[in-house]
Amino acid sequence: MEPDQNRVEPKENPPPMPEQPGLDAYAAYLPAYVLADNRLDATDPPRRGGPARGVAAFDEDTVTMAVEALRPVAAASTSGGQLLFATTNAPYEAKTSAGVVHEALGLDPGIGAVDLRGHRSGATALDLVVRAGATAALADLRTTRPGAPDELAQGDAAVGLVGGGHAAAVLLARAGRTAEVLERWRLPGERHDRVWDERFTAEVLAAAGLDAARRALAEASLDAVDTVVVSSSNPRAAAALRRALGGDGRDATIERAAGFTGAAHPGLLLAAALDEARPGQTILLLSATEGADAFVFAVGDGVRAARGGPSVRDQLAARQPLGYGRYLRWRGLLDVQGPARPAAPAPAAPPMHRRAGWKYRLEGSRCGACGAVTTPPGRVCAACGIVGAPDATGKVSLRERTARVVSVTRDHLTTMPEPEVAVVVADVDGGGRLSAYATDVAPADVTVGMAMTPTFRRLWTTDAIHNYFWKLRPAPQDAPPGKDTTDGQ
Amino acid sequence: MASRRTVNDVAIVAMGCTPFRDHWHASADDLLVDAVRECVGSLPAVTLDDVDAFWVGTQGSGLSGQTLARPLRLTGKPVTRVENYCATGSEAFRNAAYAVASGAYDMVMATGVEKLKDSSYSGLSAVYPPADGTDVDWTAPGGFSLLVPAYQRAYGVDARGMRDALTRVAVKNHANGARNERAQFRKAVTAETVENSPRVAGPLGVMDCSGVSDGAAAAILVRAEDAHRYTDRPVYLRGMGFVAGSGAGLATDGYDFTTFPEVVAAARQAYEQAGVTDPATQISLAEVHDCFTPTEVVLMEDLGFSERGKAWRDILDGRYDLDGALPVNTDGGLKSFGHPIGATGLRMMFECFTQLRGEAGSRQVPDARLAVAQNLGGQPGSSVAFVAVLGNER
Repeated sequence: MEPDQNRVEPKENPPPMPEQPGLDAYAAYLPAYVLADNRLDATDPPRRGGPARGVAAFDEDTVTMAVEALRPVAAASTSGGQLLFATTNAPYEAKTSAGVVHEALGLDPGIGAVDLRGHRSGATALDLVVRAGATAALADLRTTRPGAPDELAQGDAAVGLVGGGHAAAVLLARAGRTAEVLERWRLPGERHDRVWDERFTAEVLAAAGLDAARRALAEASLDAVDTVVVSSSNPRAAAALRRALGGDGRDATIERAAGFTGAAHPGLLLAAALDEARPGQTILLLSATEGADAFVFAVGDGVRAARGGPSVRDQLAARQPLGYGRYLRWRGLLDVQGPARPAAPAPAAPPMHRRAGWKYRLEGSRCGACGAVTTPPGRVCAACGIVGAPDATGKVSLRERTARVVSVTRDHLTTMPEPEVAVVVADVDGGGRLSAYATDVAPADVTVGMAMTPTFRRLWTTDAIHNYFWKLRPAPQDAPPGKDTTDGQ
Repeated sequence: MASRRTVNDVAIVAMGCTPFRDHWHASADDLLVDAVRECVGSLPAVTLDDVDAFWVGTQGSGLSGQTLARPLRLTGKPVTRVENYCATGSEAFRNAAYAVASGAYDMVMATGVEKLKDSSYSGLSAVYPPADGTDVDWTAPGGFSLLVPAYQRAYGVDARGMRDALTRVAVKNHANGARNERAQFRKAVTAETVENSPRVAGPLGVMDCSGVSDGAAAAILVRAEDAHRYTDRPVYLRGMGFVAGSGAGLATDGYDFTTFPEVVAAARQAYEQAGVTDPATQISLAEVHDCFTPTEVVLMEDLGFSERGKAWRDILDGRYDLDGALPVNTDGGLKSFGHPIGATGLRMMFECFTQLRGEAGSRQVPDARLAVAQNLGGQPGSSVAFVAVLGNER
């Protein structure tokens, strides 16, 4: 079946510029794991109240996190002319990552897809969301060398932002300043940022940030705002700017739990602020990295409904602790002997293209005769054997549905960087069956009857091809206590 | 829809089977030559030239009929290579049987071979066509281990009871294999050894899995009316059924992982052709596809040997032991005899052939008259299944 059939034709003209720039919807995605201790061979408990970082699981990357972040809100973005993907850590060079996100979200093909790279790309994407009505995923995954002083100060997260309206926030003013300075960088193929003496770069970034913030506040005709939010790749600069602008430190609290999440960070801190703001309040968001970008927002009347998914704080509270050894193995920083088993096969481009609806959006086929759902979709119904016409077979997306485990096993010979992974066969409420890897759950905790929900993941990478597909994780009501990984509302 | 016994009955007049081993010093070619030589050599008046047509089953040890024609340097003979997952050996037998029954040929040979130990992997490593990457990368034990929690839940069997039944299957089949010089593992094992083996999938450990080995087997088939020209003790094909599943068990909801519907359907065909109405009492012995211990538990029910939900109990009661009411896998089964994919179906027939001729020595089932050979491939929910009934009377 041609994946592009039944889609809306591209729009003739780009969407009109929003009359009042602003943010229409937002959602944050914080991975399910938190690393609070990076000592090798630790025998005594970690320091209480120390920094912690969010950790994306071994099957996540910035693309999968971007999909998870935008899933709850992307439906609202039908009018946006561009999907932006901002990161410092894209899974591919040369190939546009936003295209994978676009496909997984099932966006109108007339909507563009573009990657923005570098530390400043998050603030730039936010600017294009609020002023040009774009849809953006800000996603980052950050790894330092083991034992680096800032190892627990970097983190993984994604934020989905939708422009073209102002239910969440109205943009009152903005100002930017470009400042070329060698602060954090890495060569292609390198995993870890190199960092210049942060006392030098803090001075440059603080000056740029203060200038941008003052110009934005002046343009908004405000002397002060209700909430100051500061995001910076340089923690000294962030601290200095918070002090200078009268911030209350709630942003720093979030950062101390999540880590600095790179290109996602201004979006993450804005989301956390919007989670707690009341309509009409003002927010100054200042991002100080490679220069500075300042935004002054008035919180929108529809801010409560504008959030997709659970709040930032609820997601932070629901994370599972992760041991340092597991973290190192997930990141490829500890090479552990796996089983004597060949690598899982790399997917091929034509089958991926032909079955994009299944692979990227978990679309099965619904039989026109008996109503049963067949997965993967096929011409002939698996339940009644009736042959559907190529175009007549109904597509049904299973990705927002709950599935219940029919049987489960644990693969102790997995090629994934874990001692074992759970594999389930699960029946989807409303019809359909999925064979899938379970994720974000200890394999021993997966039981027959458990309710699970689909999540977009990277199954494996073979022959330099990332193999994206859906896994299942416990549905909120079935997550073991303290491991609630989705809806904290 | 019909699945009938052939118009002309078919008989096996000779068989050969290599020991199943780590055959480090033998190739698939060598193993085929050994099995075929043993088979033909058992009939003094027959040479390879008397065989009109050949089938060779292999899952991955060769392509085309030349897999057999080349090592044996067959000249001017039709050879067909077949593949049907782990039921490949049975598929070679089935097609050969139809060919001789049709009258097109008077004498045919079915062979099967697999060379698994050249790969440096302990499990199976099939190569599949390019795909979209959405399939779970199942291990074989992973797929079959899905039977365990589903069976326990369906019949209220606790973890200890289920484990005991699985362990008993392994212990029983190793005890049988210990009496068989051709078996890969010729050593009895204790329950403790089975249960302490390294885990590979869910509750299954290494000792719940069939032996990965190299081997080959061969059979000469003729029409039943001609059988006594070659041997005093032919073994007759009384019925056989084969089903390639639709895969619906993994593609839509409904299937519950406590049965192989494909086996149930294939058994129904085979029993009907053979006139078997109560397999639990009429069958003397059975060779079944114990690729993993839970498979044998479920097969006892699918083949009508135990009531639904009762097989685990019957196994623990010794019903399927060598001295039980219905001995199962008297040669050690896949578990202890080993499982070179393409050879396995014919290896099962080899044991049935041996038992029905009264040649099984210390493993001999007294008064063996009807034997079942049941071979399957794929995984629960999406499998291919073969069932045959063999007898020493026509």
